[in-house]
Amino acid sequence: MSMKPTEPHRLREAWILCFLLGCIMLNYPFIHIFNKADTLLGIPVLVLYLLVGWPVSILIIWFFSLQLGRSDDDTGRRDRGAP
Amino acid sequence: MISVKLVALVTLGYLGLLFLVAYYADRKHEQGKSLISNPTIYSLSLAVYCTSWTFYGSVGRAATIGLDFLTIYLGPTLIAFAWWFLLRRMVRISKEQNITTIADFVSSRYGKSAYMGGLVTIFSVVGIMPYIALQLKAVSQTFDLLTLPPPQRSEGLGHYLPQLPQTLDTAFIIALTLALFGVLFGARNLDASERHEGMVAAIALESIIKLVAFLAVGLFVTYGLFDGFTDIFGQFLHDFPERIHLLLIDTEQIPYITWFSLTFISMMAFMFLPRQFHIMVIENSDESHIRQAMWRFPLYAFAINLFVLPVALGGLLLNGGDTSQADYFVLSLPMQTGHYWLGMFAFVGGLSAAAGMVMISSVALATMVLNQLITPLILKFRIVVDNYYLILLNLKRLAIFVVVFLGYLFYRAIGESYALVNMGLISFIAATQFAPGLIGGLYWRRATRKGAATGLILGFLVWFYTLIIPSFVRSGWLHSAILEEGLFGIRLLRPLELFGLSGFDIWSHSLFWTLFFNIGAFLTLSLLTAPDEREREQAEKFVGVYTGSLLPKERQRISRAPSILEFVDLMSKFIGEKQAHAAIADYLGDREATIDQHGSLSEYELPNLKRFTERTLAGSVGAAAASIIVENYLSTRGSRMEKVFDIFGSVTLSRTSSREQLSVLYEAARVVASGAPLQTIFDNILELLIQQFKFDLVVIRLLDQDSMTLTVRSQKGMSSEHFGHSARKLTMETTIGEVFLTNQAIVVNDTDELKDKPQTSQIVHREGILSFAHAPITMEGEPIGVLSAFSKSVRGIFTEEFVELFTSLASQVGVAWRNNQQTRDLIAAREQQKEMEIAKTIQLSLLPQATPRIEGISLAGLCVPAREVGGDYYDYLERADGNLDLVVADVSGHNVGSALIMAETRTFIRARASKLDAPDQVLDALNRFFYDDLTQAELFITLVYIRFQPETGNLVYASAGHNPPLVYRHASGTIDRLDAEGLILGVRPEVTFDCCRDRLEPGDVLLMFTDGLTEAENRAGEFFGEERLVQMLIDNRHLQPQELIETLLQQLRLFTGSQNFRDDISLVVMKRES
Repeated sequence: MSMKPTEPHRLREAWILCFLLGCIMLNYPFIHIFNKADTLLGIPVLVLYLLVGWPVSILIIWFFSLQLGRSDDDTGRRDRGAP
Repeated sequence: MISVKLVALVTLGYLGLLFLVAYYADRKHEQGKSLISNPTIYSLSLAVYCTSWTFYGSVGRAATIGLDFLTIYLGPTLIAFAWWFLLRRMVRISKEQNITTIADFVSSRYGKSAYMGGLVTIFSVVGIMPYIALQLKAVSQTFDLLTLPPPQRSEGLGHYLPQLPQTLDTAFIIALTLALFGVLFGARNLDASERHEGMVAAIALESIIKLVAFLAVGLFVTYGLFDGFTDIFGQFLHDFPERIHLLLIDTEQIPYITWFSLTFISMMAFMFLPRQFHIMVIENSDESHIRQAMWRFPLYAFAINLFVLPVALGGLLLNGGDTSQADYFVLSLPMQTGHYWLGMFAFVGGLSAAAGMVMISSVALATMVLNQLITPLILKFRIVVDNYYLILLNLKRLAIFVVVFLGYLFYRAIGESYALVNMGLISFIAATQFAPGLIGGLYWRRATRKGAATGLILGFLVWFYTLIIPSFVRSGWLHSAILEEGLFGIRLLRPLELFGLSGFDIWSHSLFWTLFFNIGAFLTLSLLTAPDEREREQAEKFVGVYTGSLLPKERQRISRAPSILEFVDLMSKFIGEKQAHAAIADYLGDREATIDQHGSLSEYELPNLKRFTERTLAGSVGAAAASIIVENYLSTRGSRMEKVFDIFGSVTLSRTSSREQLSVLYEAARVVASGAPLQTIFDNILELLIQQFKFDLVVIRLLDQDSMTLTVRSQKGMSSEHFGHSARKLTMETTIGEVFLTNQAIVVNDTDELKDKPQTSQIVHREGILSFAHAPITMEGEPIGVLSAFSKSVRGIFTEEFVELFTSLASQVGVAWRNNQQTRDLIAAREQQKEMEIAKTIQLSLLPQATPRIEGISLAGLCVPAREVGGDYYDYLERADGNLDLVVADVSGHNVGSALIMAETRTFIRARASKLDAPDQVLDALNRFFYDDLTQAELFITLVYIRFQPETGNLVYASAGHNPPLVYRHASGTIDRLDAEGLILGVRPEVTFDCCRDRLEPGDVLLMFTDGLTEAENRAGEFFGEERLVQMLIDNRHLQPQELIETLLQQLRLFTGSQNFRDDISLVVMKRES
């Protein structure tokens, strides 16, 4: 998969979007979808949702931090070079 | 059950191991290697967030209340999305400002306010008390759990050491041990940067231990005691179907609002708990580590929570649903099943979790107490101590103990009645109170100290009222009436239903009201109040940390400034001599160029040194205290920071000053170029200076060559005998003299500091001058005068930029002076040229105006002077006897003198020649007449004189050293030279001239010329020469004389390659017609 280095400000907007999405998916009413007494594969649905959703969000952060590594290498260096 | 000795030994051994790791890391750091400067260690150190609350409390929460234990870790996972801009910004600012704690951070943001710092410190200490209490409770209870049989557990350590007083329980010993280690890790010395590599290394190791321990217990319970996740869930749902709420939210105990509140609180707590701030921001060694930590820490949190639910449910299953020991299932399950070593390992894990938190918290809080409370107080009451360093160090150690024991007191007061998680949440909401002022301060320039402080105070009061008061009631300290009937019996003031807000859980209720008042006051007061100057400056540094400041750079100077050494002494007092010297060496290293010949920094550099000193001290004592220290120090010396008068008016200095400078310079250049008289130009430039910069007096002095003094040429502003009128001698005793002699501008921004020139000093003081500047007026780099400006109203008026401008203006004055000189020269030259033109006109009029018309001959003549006037002359004279006299003469030189002699020659010939019979007599008479004049003028004349008889064609001629005329013989087609002996006129008084005869036959051509013709040079330096002339005469013999002359000149120009000739050229051509 080829990833195009993204501009820093677009990345930042993506961060904010992910943050908001995370907040929404962890709260009412979204979480209400999974708040059921059923089990799936022997595990309560809500527990399963959280135990799967959590690593997924970590994966997303990881993915973005890779992007940061690409696009921010330049700006990072420039930042450090500033007086 | 494990023997108490073993547990004590393992505990101390483990703490000892941590200490060794820390010690090793510190040693490596001193050698310049960093063990901790990598993203992995950084991420692990952030896991200090996971305390014994996580280790024990989560399971307890999961077993009793339900899934909301997860929110404490989901919050930080969410906020991790914001780290790249929020956390990175905090780290960047802290590094730039040498921030030491969160209190320091807030205080710095709001104008380095000691008051603000103190406020945050007090609230932090109070707010963290329950949290430390939680750790002490967890460790002491697990210690007892591990070592005592159930009946004696309430006796604690007293069971083994009955001689101990009753009040000293296990928690006390634990508190003492942890405080001691806190001192060892965090306060062995006062670090200038407040970074503790050793402590961070120990924390990272602890994070690994507690994770491994918890995973071990989790795996043991899940796969050892049960058959995996599905087995536990299945059994649980089968055995306790009524407890299905533990696996759901939106239950009675966890409504959605609680879920949301807890997520939010933990986000804020993760960012703003003092120890989190310390480990994330202060101990961060590289901003780029944040990028890795953003996903590594959430991964850690996920891992440590993975088995919480299985352990909790497993514990319930194994204990028949009994929740009384739910907080310690992690430890009790291995013990219950006889796996003592796993229990021991779990204990060490829990100890790690607690010890890490207590150490970092106590060190961070102690630093805060020291920097934000004690030091400002010492400074405020001016307690004079010889060695602040030792005092401060010991106070810091003491503060660590105090912080830990405050936690112990809280534990004793209410610890027994609260579950672990509930105690922690009280602290979390306390930390949340820092969020508005801090986040607002990071992004909002308008946020003011008054707003932030009021918000914080209100937030904490409400926090205390809605959380601490209820906990006091629960522990029996206060009567429950206040909960039920409200303060003073006012029902609206019931702490758990404040202002009638009911139906909320205690956390959401408290969170709402604290933030309502906190944010409300923060926003309102920030909008209503204006930040003072210092706040504005700091706000700019925080908000504009990436963009650079939008405010004009503040210009300051220090009056009676301390020397570099004095600054070093000041620093030594607080951070020790070694560090002070290292710091200053580092600072001066980059600035060698700015050190002047006296070994001190320039006036403009000193405020920077002051700022540097402040920053260095801030790393040790916090920004507020550092600023007080430096201000106090300066004020006791009588030094003062003075704002530099913004000489360019309201326009900001840093970015647009060049434009302002340019406009003034442009105006000056316009004045100079105006072509006005010099005096007007001088006056106008001075007028411009006065208008633009409001000086009291400006003067131009120029060197008077005769008296060798600098005399006043123009002055504007106040009238002053001493400044405005008097001349200055060229000595080094006056500043003006020095400026001229050294050709260097001198600026005195404070005349009080003028010591080495008593004469100047005296005059200056008599006139009430506060500051002045002189710049040399130069012409081609050499000084010709001095431009001076004086101010009676402002000290420190002359900034670096202004001096630059002032020097440029002085050189403009020089340009005006030079222009004036050149104009004068030019006028003189023009006048001379005009005279020459006149002379030329006169001279040309002396040459024959027309050629005589004589039958049988045609005649033409021409004189081309090399300059305006020349020494060549030719003439035709028609004699009464019908003869025609032809003269060609060449006076040496091409100047006016030559022209005069030529005119005189003409006059003489015209007057006398008709009376003389033969050409040789004419020459003889000429020589006699001119000898004296020519000798005197050092000139001489060559001349050829021919008398021609038109009827016969006979010629009589004589020559005075002149080029022999040429004759073209029509009959033979050859050329003859009319050679006659005779010396140049003006060489000897008595000369004999030959008189020769010849004859022109019809068709013959006579050519008389001056040496300007034959000696004309081409580019190669060759003469035109007689040969070429002869050839040309032959070639063009058929031409009429006028045409012949024109052709000759044309050929000559072709030969020389130039329009003008270097010497005068005269030609006379006569042709006898056939």
